[in-house]
Amino acid sequence: MIFSTLILNTFREAAAKKIFLGFFAISTIIILVFLFLINVDSVDGMVDMMESSGEEGVKNLVIGFEVAMINISYLLVITFCFISVSSFIPSMLEKGNIDLLLSKPVSRSKILIAKFTGGVLLIFISLTYLIGFVWLILSIKSGFWHIPFLYTIFWLTLSFAIIYSLIIFIGLISQSTILSILISLFLVFIVCPVLYVREATIFTFVSNTAVQFIINFFYYILPKTTDINQITTDIITGKKVESYMPVISSVLFMLVTLSASIFYFRKKDY
Amino acid sequence: MSVITTKNLSKEFSSGKFSKEKIQALNNFTFEVEGGEIFGLLGPNGAGKTTLIKILLGITFPTSGEIQIFGKNISDESYKTKVGYLPESHKFPNYFNGEEVLHFFGMLSGISKAEVKKKTDEYLKLVDMEKWRKTKIRKYSKGMLQRLGLAQSMLNNPDIIFLDEPTDGVDPIGRKEIRDILIRLKEEGKTIFLNSHLLSEVELVCDRVAILNKGVLIKSGRVDEITAVSDNYIFNTTEIDESVMHSLLSVYKSIIKSKHEFYYSTDSPEDLNKLIDFLRQNKVLILSITREKNSLEDLFINLIGSRN
Ligand SMILES: Nc1ncnc2c1ncn2[C@@H]1O[C@H](COP(=O)(O)OP(=O)(O)OP(=O)(O)O)[C@@H](O)[C@H]1O
Ligand SMILES: [Mg+2]
Repeated sequence: MIFSTLILNTFREAAAKKIFLGFFAISTIIILVFLFLINVDSVDGMVDMMESSGEEGVKNLVIGFEVAMINISYLLVITFCFISVSSFIPSMLEKGNIDLLLSKPVSRSKILIAKFTGGVLLIFISLTYLIGFVWLILSIKSGFWHIPFLYTIFWLTLSFAIIYSLIIFIGLISQSTILSILISLFLVFIVCPVLYVREATIFTFVSNTAVQFIINFFYYILPKTTDINQITTDIITGKKVESYMPVISSVLFMLVTLSASIFYFRKKDY
Repeated sequence: MSVITTKNLSKEFSSGKFSKEKIQALNNFTFEVEGGEIFGLLGPNGAGKTTLIKILLGITFPTSGEIQIFGKNISDESYKTKVGYLPESHKFPNYFNGEEVLHFFGMLSGISKAEVKKKTDEYLKLVDMEKWRKTKIRKYSKGMLQRLGLAQSMLNNPDIIFLDEPTDGVDPIGRKEIRDILIRLKEEGKTIFLNSHLLSEVELVCDRVAILNKGVLIKSGRVDEITAVSDNYIFNTTEIDESVMHSLLSVYKSIIKSKHEFYYSTDSPEDLNKLIDFLRQNKVLILSITREKNSLEDLFINLIGSRN
């Protein structure tokens, strides 16, 4: 009962933030675009253009839309969702609010786990809304019911959860929303993509093995959302996924960060 | 039966992230609060009053010492279901309206939804906030927030209520209403732990008080007892001659105002009567004796002032 109250409160808090409503507005626009602007006629037209035979052509086209949707959703999640959840912890820690919360018969670890679960659940529901409807519309229009696209909901939620654990940790330590946003965006927009292509880029002009080792070290310990996004795309396009190492190590990162947050929160004076 | 007991409670804060200097917010604090009483904790700014409440509620952790609430160690969190708390300058999430604040914190206290609903109606009425229940709290005035906070602290039907400056920002009529609520809660058998600067207020409702300065307990006891300790007697007499005056000063440590008037402080009726006998033997006629009861404020200023 107490736990569900805390989880519902994260929904309430997100709804109170205009920025999260922005996510819903954009999702709705995307759904409407798929509903009205992409119609079977034009799909047929494009199929002709792609010069592939009937059914195969429709499938390729649908998959093309799906891959585009993965990237759009990923971008939406890391902008709107990260920014809106970044204030969860700092606002909870405000003097006069945290005192009251901690005087209630709820353990500190439970409070933190509820914040985490609430945020993840929220993003899961939002993605289900966006991806679910797009999938439904594409399937009905094309007659191609491509289930793997739905897995995107899971993979994007996982990526969110991994970075969210870091947002929670930074929020606890710094009590600063801005810092949480900056660090998570820097990580996702710059560090992850650069480390993902480190072999093709950095390593071509850095031949020093010690430096390469350090860069590799960071690659392995930091979360790898770019890799996870690539894995998602591979799954949908039917390519073979070479390694799930990025997923496993990122999940480990999440577990370690969450444990560290709980450890810190339980010891801290407010 | 005592519901709160602390033994040699100490709390040190480091004054800054990179500073080795320590602030001793509480220093070997030992005290007890009896069930069913209104207990007032007094002290100047920075004395450690808020720190004490936070430690009792597990919000801040003591550096050393022992605490028992309802006879149990506070590492067992179950006592929190029977505790209410109004934090100093509390800040509820501003997306709530009045009723939602009570609902949220009520549910967190572990009481049932139906109970929360019932108590919300009851307590909003009690603190006179019924017509504001649907208004977003960011539109509330300070006093209104304080009333809502008070309702929140009572919602789970607690046995002990901790109130940190409950009348802060409340107008005089509101203060009177809050005092009445406190007295009513006491009649229901609840224990109230009150932090306050407003000494006259504390004097009006508290059964017992403790005075805290720089983390050290400097005095505690029943309000009438600790204020009676320094009761002042003002003597008006016929003219007092030099030798009597001298004894009054050196033996009785009285304060001479004039040849006809002096002050004598004592808490013992025997001493008072000895002085009267002495005056009579020396042929001084007593015209009047006035007992001037010290207010808590006088005592407070004397105690704190003399220590600083
Ligand atoms: N988190 C903290 N970190 C460092 N020092 C602290 C912290 N909290 C309190 N203190 C220090 O502990 C001392 C006691 O503070 P506390 O808030 O308990 O005083 P108080 O008696 O409630 O004062 P007031 O009447 O102004 O509310 C102060 O010197 C304060 O600076
Ligand atoms: Mg205080």
